[in-house]
Amino acid sequence: MKDKIFGILQRVGRSFMLPIALLPVAGLLLGIGGSFTNPTTIETYRLGSVIYEGGILYTVLDIMSKTGSAVFDNLALLFAMGVAIGMAKKEKEVAALSGAIAYLVMNTAISVLIMAKGGVEAMTENSTTSALGITTLQMGVFGGIIVGLGVAALHNRFYRIELPQVLSFFGGTRFVPIVCTVVYLMVGIVMFYLWPFVQMGISKLGGLVLNSGYIGTWIYGILERALIPFGLHHVFYMPFWQTELGGSMMVDDNIVTGAQNIFFAELASKSTEVFSVSATRFMSGKFPFMIFGLPAAAFAMYRAARPEKRKAAGGLLLSAALTSMLTGITEPLEFTFIFVAPLMYGVHCVLAGLSYMLMHLFNVGVGMTFSGGVIDLTLFGILQGNHKTNWIWIVIVGLFYAVVYYFVFYFMIKKMHLATPGREPDDIEPKLYRRSDVEAARSEKAAGSPGDVTSALILKGLGGKENLSDIDCCATRLRITVTDIEKVSDSLLKESGASGVIHKGNGVQVIYGPRVSVVKSNLEAFMDSPQSNDLDGVLGEAPSAEKPQPQKKNAPEKAAAIRMYAHLNGTAVKLEDVGDDVFSQKILGEGIAVEPSEGRLYAPCDGEVDSVFDTKHAVNILSAEGVEVLLHIGIDTVKLGGKYFESHVSDGQKVKKGDLLITFDIEAIKAEGYKVTTPFIIANTDEYSVIEPAAQGKITAGSEILKII
Amino acid sequence: MQSFSYTIKDEIGIHARPAGLLAKRAKEFQSVVTLEKDGKTAAATKLMAIMGMGVKCGDTVNVTVEGADEEAAAAAMEEFFKENL
Repeated sequence: MKDKIFGILQRVGRSFMLPIALLPVAGLLLGIGGSFTNPTTIETYRLGSVIYEGGILYTVLDIMSKTGSAVFDNLALLFAMGVAIGMAKKEKEVAALSGAIAYLVMNTAISVLIMAKGGVEAMTENSTTSALGITTLQMGVFGGIIVGLGVAALHNRFYRIELPQVLSFFGGTRFVPIVCTVVYLMVGIVMFYLWPFVQMGISKLGGLVLNSGYIGTWIYGILERALIPFGLHHVFYMPFWQTELGGSMMVDDNIVTGAQNIFFAELASKSTEVFSVSATRFMSGKFPFMIFGLPAAAFAMYRAARPEKRKAAGGLLLSAALTSMLTGITEPLEFTFIFVAPLMYGVHCVLAGLSYMLMHLFNVGVGMTFSGGVIDLTLFGILQGNHKTNWIWIVIVGLFYAVVYYFVFYFMIKKMHLATPGREPDDIEPKLYRRSDVEAARSEKAAGSPGDVTSALILKGLGGKENLSDIDCCATRLRITVTDIEKVSDSLLKESGASGVIHKGNGVQVIYGPRVSVVKSNLEAFMDSPQSNDLDGVLGEAPSAEKPQPQKKNAPEKAAAIRMYAHLNGTAVKLEDVGDDVFSQKILGEGIAVEPSEGRLYAPCDGEVDSVFDTKHAVNILSAEGVEVLLHIGIDTVKLGGKYFESHVSDGQKVKKGDLLITFDIEAIKAEGYKVTTPFIIANTDEYSVIEPAAQGKITAGSEILKII
Repeated sequence: MQSFSYTIKDEIGIHARPAGLLAKRAKEFQSVVTLEKDGKTAAATKLMAIMGMGVKCGDTVNVTVEGADEEAAAAAMEEFFKENL
């Protein structure tokens, strides 16, 4: 169980990589653009003559800043889609679409409830935000992640669903966005009532922090970091930075409230001799771990990566480390380990908290515009002079932090076998299957599921995997482009259930009807499985004489059971007890037999007479559901050459369950020395996962005798 | 592709029993084995299709074998026909 959870967490962590890979770029854009368009920065360094609103440089910087924040503002959507893609097993594009839809639906549901309650004003301050223009609860990245994970789970559960014929257009992948919409409508309602409690707890903590000195600063630092994955850190620190929660102070005869406001008021004031640490204690702590600690942790992850993956992991880690260092945007780096190694993130939180406390202790008075990178350190620390800010302690503590982070991370990764970038197991990545893998997969499930058999037939009919260059489907047809049209076998394709095959150049259209999207999903899943390299292994796997009844329990689709009804009055006999090798060893297929008490053979199901033997002792019926039924009166009775048998049907004739098929003379046949035991054989046993007797002992014609799944 | 023709000598033709054995044998090979008689074809692995051809004594069946192991499969099929039919 523990391993399973761990495995899932690792997959979750990996699925974050796609959106995370974007963050360093967005962070740099925002960091550089944001810092130099900040009015305070411009004013402090008298850049107003070069960078001014409306000027070219300002506009370029503003574009950088705004595009960067577009990514950060919509991070939740990126995660909703990215995680859905990462966690979906197949048909990932459908998961992506569903993720986006579910995210919109959830937030819209919340939005309507907010309006119903009286709008944003009626909600707790800072608890709402605007996502894609929808007024909703501030849930941060966490909101996106619950969408992504839920959508992926729904997707994996339903993307191959088969619906009843009338609704089959909505089956398969098309069903996924539909079900996601309904589910996330409800999730949105639940979140509206649930999430405010989470937010309330957080703001309560804020009050606690302010009243407890150095320890309070430490706790503030820990919480600020710990809230990052939930996107709630802004909710938490903004009150400290912007409201009286962060203190109030007289600066140049004005009352200024909020830590950041105090810092910038002091920055603007010419009379400031030392920056007030009581305000900067909510900010300065970021510098040591953002500029020194986290980049060292990235280096530790790089060193711990497997040599063959080091290069790839290095690219991600280096850019993330640089982003953290320069701009103080740490999410790209933190998200690389937060989910694969939550414990390591816990350690990081404690150390980060300690960093805030140390800065408080050493009277460091460096503020920031929005985060603690080199840019802000330079502007608001170094350039202000050490006598005002004590910035040198940032470097001293920082160097110490680099060492601590490096060793702590390195040893935790190694000791606990954490799957940080470059250490992931290969199981998700595509790999070459070896023969042993194929065999392992085959012994795992004695034979392919019905879907696999169909897929194998299709694949074989199309000339094998190598012959396909493109697969697609429309409402009713599988559309394939092949490299060699000569290899396509219409008969095999029809055997797979197709009602028609159309050729056009190198294009092949195979007509299956509305269930085609399920056929396509099954086919694609099958092509990715090791069995697809061994088509005949899948197709040829019949229940053999040595294994009387292989347990074919692997039936992913919940196919409804097909029922067959007794073909005679008499006594049900197990096939094993028929006493003739061909039948009892099931060389012909699974089934059951009846020792008849009356010489009248009836149709066991609705269907069509495929063939009546010339000798009239046996008949093949193709049932409406496609079950191939062989009814064989007596054992070795072929030798009677038709004597004592009379057929009432002919080839191709449609029959209803209970129609009289053949009459025969039990006594006369017995007198000739033959048994009249009449096996009921499923000739296409391979296509079903379960065929089991539904009756024993005395039986009357027309009562249930076999169950087929 | 390998192929051969065989004229059925067994007086009762390809009925259920030999059809079952034939299908079982054909499934042992990767190659696709196809039977043809008077324009009707059947995959040798499909029991009902074989029985549906209604092959009787004196009928000539054309057998084609196509696939990776077609030589071995064709030889085995020919042997099967000679022994059983």
